[in-house]
Amino acid sequence: MLHMKDLTKVYRTHMIETHALRGFDIDVKEGEFVTVTGPSGSGKTTFLNIAGLLEEFDGGDYLLDGVSVKGLSDNERSRLRNEKLGFIFQGFNLIPDLDLFDNVDVPLRYRGFNAAERRRRIEQALAEVGLASRMRHYPAELSGGQQQRVAIARALAGTPRLLLADEPTGNLDSQMARSVMELLEQINVAGTTIIMVTHDPELAMRAQRNVHIIDGRASDLRRGPSLVQPHAITA
Amino acid sequence: MFRYYLMLGLRSLRRNPALTALMVVTLAIGVAASVSTLTILHVMSGDPVPAKSKRLVVPLLDVGPKANYSPDRRDPYMIQSTYPDAINYLRSGPGVRRTALYGVATSIEPARREDPLIDLSGIATTTDYFPMFDVPLRFGSAWSAADDERGSRVAVLSKRKAEAIFGSKDPVGQRIRIWDTDFTIVGVVGDWNPVPRYTNLINGSGGYFEGEEQLLIPLKAATDLAVEPNGNVSCSHESAAGWAAFLASECTWIQAWWELASAADRPAAQAWLDAYVAQQQRGGRLERRAPNELFDVMQWMDFLKVVKPDSKLAVWLSIGFLVLCIVNTMGLLLAKFSTRAAEVGVRRALGAGRAAIFRQFLVETTVVGLAGGLLGLALSFASLALIRQQSRDLSAVAHMDWEMLATTFALAVVASIVAGLLPTWRACQVTPALQLKSQ
Repeated sequence: MLHMKDLTKVYRTHMIETHALRGFDIDVKEGEFVTVTGPSGSGKTTFLNIAGLLEEFDGGDYLLDGVSVKGLSDNERSRLRNEKLGFIFQGFNLIPDLDLFDNVDVPLRYRGFNAAERRRRIEQALAEVGLASRMRHYPAELSGGQQQRVAIARALAGTPRLLLADEPTGNLDSQMARSVMELLEQINVAGTTIIMVTHDPELAMRAQRNVHIIDGRASDLRRGPSLVQPHAITA
Repeated sequence: MFRYYLMLGLRSLRRNPALTALMVVTLAIGVAASVSTLTILHVMSGDPVPAKSKRLVVPLLDVGPKANYSPDRRDPYMIQSTYPDAINYLRSGPGVRRTALYGVATSIEPARREDPLIDLSGIATTTDYFPMFDVPLRFGSAWSAADDERGSRVAVLSKRKAEAIFGSKDPVGQRIRIWDTDFTIVGVVGDWNPVPRYTNLINGSGGYFEGEEQLLIPLKAATDLAVEPNGNVSCSHESAAGWAAFLASECTWIQAWWELASAADRPAAQAWLDAYVAQQQRGGRLERRAPNELFDVMQWMDFLKVVKPDSKLAVWLSIGFLVLCIVNTMGLLLAKFSTRAAEVGVRRALGAGRAAIFRQFLVETTVVGLAGGLLGLALSFASLALIRQQSRDLSAVAHMDWEMLATTFALAVVASIVAGLLPTWRACQVTPALQLKSQ
């Protein structure tokens, strides 16, 4: 699903060069739930941004679902992002002007689905996260946990192959965090590959596999049994 | 997607009504200022007879004395014709039609002594004047070529003057007494009021833009009755006293017009004029040997500076003001769009390309432009109404037409798009990763 080989990313200012990723290798198979941990500044978010085609990389190779993303135009990257990826952010990143229905609608609009198909997907996604009855509410009217569920519904509505979550429970209390984590596990069981950056060791341990990043390099810490059958997990 | 972008644009504008109102008003004021001055310039400098303007020409000779002649300077007597030249043009000039005209003014003598005099101003001309300038007749007809030959005492009145004298009934056949002579009404001009008044720019009572020819009589009738010109008369040579001597003099006081079959006939007309001048010079006239000129309608108006330089300056100033308004709107849009960087980041992450973001924000700025256009239109009407109060001359030109109406909208939309280009481009450049993490 996601294959990065010898990836490098350097942030440059006129004074300093910061090597965010150096010789970064990772291979995530379809159906895996991978948590990514590491100290602040280790390169976790850079990895996630590059994985999500939100940032370019300087060297190495990156194959997303078998497609080399090197040299793709902005349009091609956007289309790939829209069709294959879902995002969940720590700060939820819902658009405050739009109600839940319209928030979930955003990626579907860019996908070019017709109105009936969009409605079906939105209602289904919101039902899956338990918010079908509140689709005309605005984000500000929801709790943090509910907002994150909407963000998950938005990520799921386009049926992505890979879900990228950047500390999705970071802004939630432990009860809500657990609830969101359970939801992500259900999604993974249903077949969606998930890569989740987290600082929480407990959550990291719940995934089948934990990749630890230090100084821009990845190392596998643990491999657990797959939650999804019959996909095999390999490093 | 356009409907989606439109919906997003409207929501975004509703979210911050004060900022939206400020942008709309800023654009509207800029547009209204430009459109008001452009409207006036448009009417002032517009082609009053587009179908014929290239075929209607004014011949101009320099009849001034050789002394103190400077080729760079045009003296006043150069802008009209002498009576002998005008008559020669009428008899044998080029083109399919020719006319000559000069301003006249009189009063109708009332049938009863106690009734007030009715003032009349107009022109003495020839029957070709009517078809040359496409003058419509409401009642009756123009006088005939035979009337021109005979100098018949016949007259055509303007619609307004005819109604003032005779009411709304057909006055053809009625008589008016002017210059101690009875004139028979043969026609009444219909709705015809070209702006600018290109046919009679020099002697037109009311200026370049306002007024009308209330009375039209045959040229020969006027000269037979020794009706003195009401308008510009320039004499460069001494002449004997008396009307006959005046007619034979080098004084210029008649406006000559030729109608050519096509604009392509102009070189032939110029050749005729040059040959005519050569012939006159052999007779001892036209000693300056200045260039003989032909002007079509637009050239004629340009030569007479119908549009004053300050009108053009006003347009430039108002365009400068519009640019200022656009820059201000640009600043407001930059401020507005900078607060939407997070939204752009989210949309980019969810699959929007830069082009999609560009289109979304461009639609939003266009909505601002349309609102600015509507308000600008209302303000333009208001400012034109205000301008009409300022002077009689301006009251004739400060009117919006469909062309300017469309221009207003186009200007507003173009202005808003220009104002929105930089903010929209900057919105597209948002680095989504940075925005998503900073939320």
